[in-house]
Amino acid sequence: MNKYIYLTGLNHRTADVEIRERYALTNVENFEPGLLAECPVHEVMALSTCNRVELLCVSGHAPQSEVDVLSAMRDYWARRCGGDSSEVQAHTYNHQGLDAVEHLFTVASSLDSLVMGEPQILGQLKDAYRNAVGCGTAKVIINRLLHKSFSVAKRVRTETAVASSAVSISFAAVELARKIFGNFNGKTAMLVGAGEMAELAATHLLRNGVEHLIIANRTLARAKTLAATLGGEPIPIENMQDRLSEADIVISSTGSPTAVIRARDVQSVLKKRKHRPMFFIDIAVPRDIDPDVNGLDNVYLYDIDDLKEVVEENMAQRQDEAVKARALVSEETRAFSQWLKTLDLQPTIVDLLGRGEEVARRELARTLRRLGDVDEETKKALETLVLSVSHKILHEPVCYLKRRTREEGMADRVIDSARRFFNLDNDCIPPDAHPERRTDSCECREDLDLSSPEEFDH
Amino acid sequence: MESFELLPLAVIGFYFLGALLFFIGLMADNERLSSVAGGLAIGGFALHSLDLCLMLVFYGKAALLGGSFYFSFVGWTLLAIHLFLRWRLKSSFLSLIALPLGLLLYTSSLGAAGLTIKIPPRFTALFFGLHVGSLAVALALLALASGAAFAWLHLNQKIKSKAVLGSMNMSMPSLDVFDRVNQWAVALGFPLYTLGIFSLAIWYWIDPEKTFSWDAMKFTSLGVWLLFAVLFHQRLIMGWRGRKTAWMVIWVFLFMVVSLIHHTITFKS
Repeated sequence: MNKYIYLTGLNHRTADVEIRERYALTNVENFEPGLLAECPVHEVMALSTCNRVELLCVSGHAPQSEVDVLSAMRDYWARRCGGDSSEVQAHTYNHQGLDAVEHLFTVASSLDSLVMGEPQILGQLKDAYRNAVGCGTAKVIINRLLHKSFSVAKRVRTETAVASSAVSISFAAVELARKIFGNFNGKTAMLVGAGEMAELAATHLLRNGVEHLIIANRTLARAKTLAATLGGEPIPIENMQDRLSEADIVISSTGSPTAVIRARDVQSVLKKRKHRPMFFIDIAVPRDIDPDVNGLDNVYLYDIDDLKEVVEENMAQRQDEAVKARALVSEETRAFSQWLKTLDLQPTIVDLLGRGEEVARRELARTLRRLGDVDEETKKALETLVLSVSHKILHEPVCYLKRRTREEGMADRVIDSARRFFNLDNDCIPPDAHPERRTDSCECREDLDLSSPEEFDH
Repeated sequence: MESFELLPLAVIGFYFLGALLFFIGLMADNERLSSVAGGLAIGGFALHSLDLCLMLVFYGKAALLGGSFYFSFVGWTLLAIHLFLRWRLKSSFLSLIALPLGLLLYTSSLGAAGLTIKIPPRFTALFFGLHVGSLAVALALLALASGAAFAWLHLNQKIKSKAVLGSMNMSMPSLDVFDRVNQWAVALGFPLYTLGIFSLAIWYWIDPEKTFSWDAMKFTSLGVWLLFAVLFHQRLIMGWRGRKTAWMVIWVFLFMVVSLIHHTITFKS
């Protein structure tokens, strides 16, 4: 392998927020071109989010060589962020070769995220890649690696349930509401009390299509402020009962010590609404909504503990699915390693075909000289013929090489044999070689008098 | 065997494979399988339509004398309504009910060839056609609605009890979609059922060969109509929805099936 993949980075597990802030690359300009210029690397991509900073590089230096690529990357990173190299080293994890590939696939699939299965990381990775492409620091390997990581992430999302269920209270509430109402077109939500969590749930609902929001609060000024932010209608809490029949979803979070909404009130509200379903989300402690409300037809009540339970169960489900997802990632890593091996073979194939073409052209030139006056059309036809013969003869050896280099641990041996077999490196037989080798009819290509027509007469 | 004779086997094959793949797709949460099942349902429906047309072309009016035609027609109507609702509600879930029922009705139609029906003379045929056609559509609608009602009751119970929904329940349509199927079935099914009952009464009235008398079959039909009328009133006028209407649709459908079985036995005897 003459191109080696390296990855170094820190995340929410290895570094606390202060460190992550210090070494974030969001405001560091020209980071990637600088790294490319100053470090022994050919390709670079930097990913910087609030939970992780990672550098992905491709270098011509092997991990066992004298050049410490990872150390050079860390030094540059620390310098650009005004930090200390040893501090970076203390908080980073390092991956090389296929480990780096597997790590990147794991990150893209959101299996390494703080909230497993969250969708943002893929978007952030795409942005980082776009940036690297823009800077011209992403080339053959990073291009292929990133495209592959996007497809792995997609496969993980579609073939496992790692991202299918809600793992936050407000999102769990939205998911449940969706199971009741289908979509939120024309639906009205009511906030009873304007707590922070209720505000978050309301934001989620509005983002998902709830059209109208009523905010009932003891302090009308607070309701007005929130209404200005979210785009709802503020009302005093005393009017809540009169307006309750308009609400399809009610989120309650007052500090009241007794129930604010009782079952008998909801019963009369239901008649007014012609029994259209209502979904009550009670996130107050002590609870604001009489639990008997859940016993009414077409009314659904979830309190904070119910929602927490849903979230915990979903988290456990995601953990189970992560096992499947990791197996997928390993499978894709193996597939990627096959591609990397064919990449090792690429120069050999180019040399081999080039050698074939070279011989064909040389023989053609000699034949044309002997033939004398030949028109252009015939020359072209002959050229096509000899090149085609050369390619066809080499087709099977190339297929064989591709096949064998995919076998575990065979790539280097097979490539080496092929290069020697076709003498692609123009090796001369050393004078101190075994006598049997020296008496062999093979000689250096340079020693051959190819210009002598007699030697190669047909 | 001629290709015409192979047609029923092809229809059964399409419906059977469609039902099987849809069920597997639902269990395995595999959308691709569900889409393939949808394609098979459409293919089966097209062949089923061809089968009905060929029956009319080859046998002419005689096709209407055999029980096969009517069973096949009810099955065809069920599939037609299912495909319409699938398109309208953008939900394939009803395939779980429609494909096995369609398969059952079509297969039964092949075994009902021995059942003969007395076709009414001359102009009374119009009322007979109305009677059979409207009841077939009403029955198909109620079959789908009762399936949707079972699904509604299941999902409602899961949400009310705060149980883990799991991937199968998560892939089910919302309660609102099932309730809308119920509303469509009631809003269209009751007028059609009424038309079916009244056209029969008119037929009896205008056909000189027929005399009206109350018997068990007519009492059952009237009972179903009254229950259906209550459901229609409560659903559309009083705004009932959800659990009560789900159970009522199931009961109306069951009574209608009992009435139909009774009807068939009466015809045979």
